[in-house]
Amino acid sequence: MLIWFLPVFLFLLMIGLPVVFGLLLAPGALLALEGQTRDLAVLYRNLYNGIDSFPLMALPFFMLAGEIMNRGGITIRLVEFSQAIMGHLRGGLAQVNILSSILFAGLSGSAVADTSALGSTLIPAMEKNGYTRRFAAAVTAASSVIGPIIPPSGIMIIYAYVMGESVAALFLAGIVPGILVGVGLMIMVRVTADRYDLPPAQRVVHENQTISPVEFWTSLILLRVTLGFLLFRIIGGTAGFFSDDAPASQAWINLALFVACCVTMHLLLVQYRGRVSHDFRLVCKKAVAPLLTPVIILGGILGGFMTPTEASAIAVAYALFVSVVVLRSMKVSDFSGVLARSALASSAVLLLVGAAVSFKTVVALSGAPQILAQFILSLSENPLVLLLLINLLLFIVGMFLDAGPAIIILGPILGPIFVDLGVHPVHFAIIMSVNLTVGLATPPMGLVLFVASSVSREKVETIAKAILPFLAVEVAVIFLITYVPAISMSVPYLTGFIACPPEVGFFDCISPPPPAN
Amino acid sequence: MPLLLGLLRPLEKLNDVLLAIGRALAIAALALMVFFILYQIFMRLFFDAPNWTEEAARFLMLWMTGLIGPLAYRQGGFVAIDMLERALSRVLSSLLSLLLLGCAMAVIWTCAQLGWENVNSFTARGNSASLRLPLDWFGGERIRFKNAWAFASLFVGFSLLVLVNLELILRQLVTLLGGQARLKPLAEAAPID
Repeated sequence: MLIWFLPVFLFLLMIGLPVVFGLLLAPGALLALEGQTRDLAVLYRNLYNGIDSFPLMALPFFMLAGEIMNRGGITIRLVEFSQAIMGHLRGGLAQVNILSSILFAGLSGSAVADTSALGSTLIPAMEKNGYTRRFAAAVTAASSVIGPIIPPSGIMIIYAYVMGESVAALFLAGIVPGILVGVGLMIMVRVTADRYDLPPAQRVVHENQTISPVEFWTSLILLRVTLGFLLFRIIGGTAGFFSDDAPASQAWINLALFVACCVTMHLLLVQYRGRVSHDFRLVCKKAVAPLLTPVIILGGILGGFMTPTEASAIAVAYALFVSVVVLRSMKVSDFSGVLARSALASSAVLLLVGAAVSFKTVVALSGAPQILAQFILSLSENPLVLLLLINLLLFIVGMFLDAGPAIIILGPILGPIFVDLGVHPVHFAIIMSVNLTVGLATPPMGLVLFVASSVSREKVETIAKAILPFLAVEVAVIFLITYVPAISMSVPYLTGFIACPPEVGFFDCISPPPPAN
Repeated sequence: MPLLLGLLRPLEKLNDVLLAIGRALAIAALALMVFFILYQIFMRLFFDAPNWTEEAARFLMLWMTGLIGPLAYRQGGFVAIDMLERALSRVLSSLLSLLLLGCAMAVIWTCAQLGWENVNSFTARGNSASLRLPLDWFGGERIRFKNAWAFASLFVGFSLLVLVNLELILRQLVTLLGGQARLKPLAEAAPID
């Protein structure tokens, strides 16, 4: 009887019941019909315990950090920086749009935030420079799906939590695929530039840039310290400033080496300074503070200083520092609005995650994965064919459902099946995340399309048509990621978050090991 | 219709007030969460890691969810596939919405009941591992947090959801009877800057 919960759930979802309630109603109603009302209490406990989690707290924190960063000042800096770097390429502003999305992805974990922030700045700018509005909106929508692929990423936090994976490993695995999507889109813009008759490009550096003394000094110091630290690690210095077991003399040597690295970097930068214009230099300098956010987040997690949740709290503190002290783009009176929006959005997601945890226990009890696994295996035994089929399924689901709910529903059902087939859990997580995120920009129910439409005041259908070439690129990238695991797995492996070296194959150290066939 | 509106208006007022309070408390909870975790990192790097910050932040997150989740529901923040609803004619769509709200009510009501049982359960009488009310600062005695205090968060959340869902049902009934023009838009009923 319990096996019916899945069809019942799908039916409830189709007729429009909010996903949270569907996740609870389908198993709950069947349990009640069977007279197992005591188990309802177990469902409720799981819902509660699902929300009561420390790793999950990264979600509201990253949302909050993104909200603070969005408060003006930062978007325009990233756009001007991208213009100075890439504006002279063919399809200039379109390329700028994509690069800005990649950069923005390191600050926010949501495609919607990306679309609305970049769209409101870039779509009018592109129109003024001779691009059609629908093309501008399509590029914005297509490139903003990079947001949740490059860390930090809301859906990856959710997936990691529900499936018991490491958030850090998923974050790292997303970096290369995200950049790949961006590069793919850039190539597409270049290829179609003549067909669309895109306006000629020029390197745009806005003149008469000014910078406040606080921002000047903050950026100056932050840049040197970061680059210095990078050099310090490259030449083999250990970050043992704080460790108790190292002798004090070693710490002093390290510190001296670190300072020397910073000074070297400073000298190099001063060298470089003479070769570029004053305005170009200021544009770059003004991008330093926002662009250091991903460095701090990833650096903190990778360096082992902090958990992803703590890194997200640091991101909030840094975002506050940048927007209140450095950029002065946020006033104290803005705080309550920003906090309320993050709390509102994350409460809905947290309830959803709690419901998914309770749903997951029923999934396991019902035996549905076994039956589904048998069905899936009856289609084909070849993992490559099955991955193709699953990509099609995910793509269709992504057309109708947001990435978060979709990943919560499908993860517990599909994940174990594919891990049994020998697909590494992290690899599978990336396939799901990228595929469902691209689904945000596919018609008919793409959230990002709706946002792009409301920002640009262009009809959804028109944007949906203009976005097709870019979607083709994204689908191609999905297949690339699916069939070349090294794309997503190399970074987590190189940083020690996945144990298996590429020669052995990433599949061989999953526990329990996949069946030999 | 006058009866429905007569029921709806006071409920709307009540929800406005309750959800505004919930929103304010949730904002405070989120701000405190960030503060506690930052404090934890600071203390761990330079002194000894405090043992209570993590649990306190989780406690606050539960309450944040319970207190502001209902407002998210009221504003349509719970994801659903509404294609069918939009494809149907006005009356049919209204009937379907009522059916869905009924389903939602079944879930919410059951959860509220289970939540109440949970608050009064045996485990709820247990003490928190690390959380204390520091009444010794004011010359009193330290009181350990009861588990029930955390359990209450979702009970309160589902109770508020019952009220919100009731409001939504009444609104949908009014719409079904053709009185859509006399409804306050929900955005106005609950402002978020």
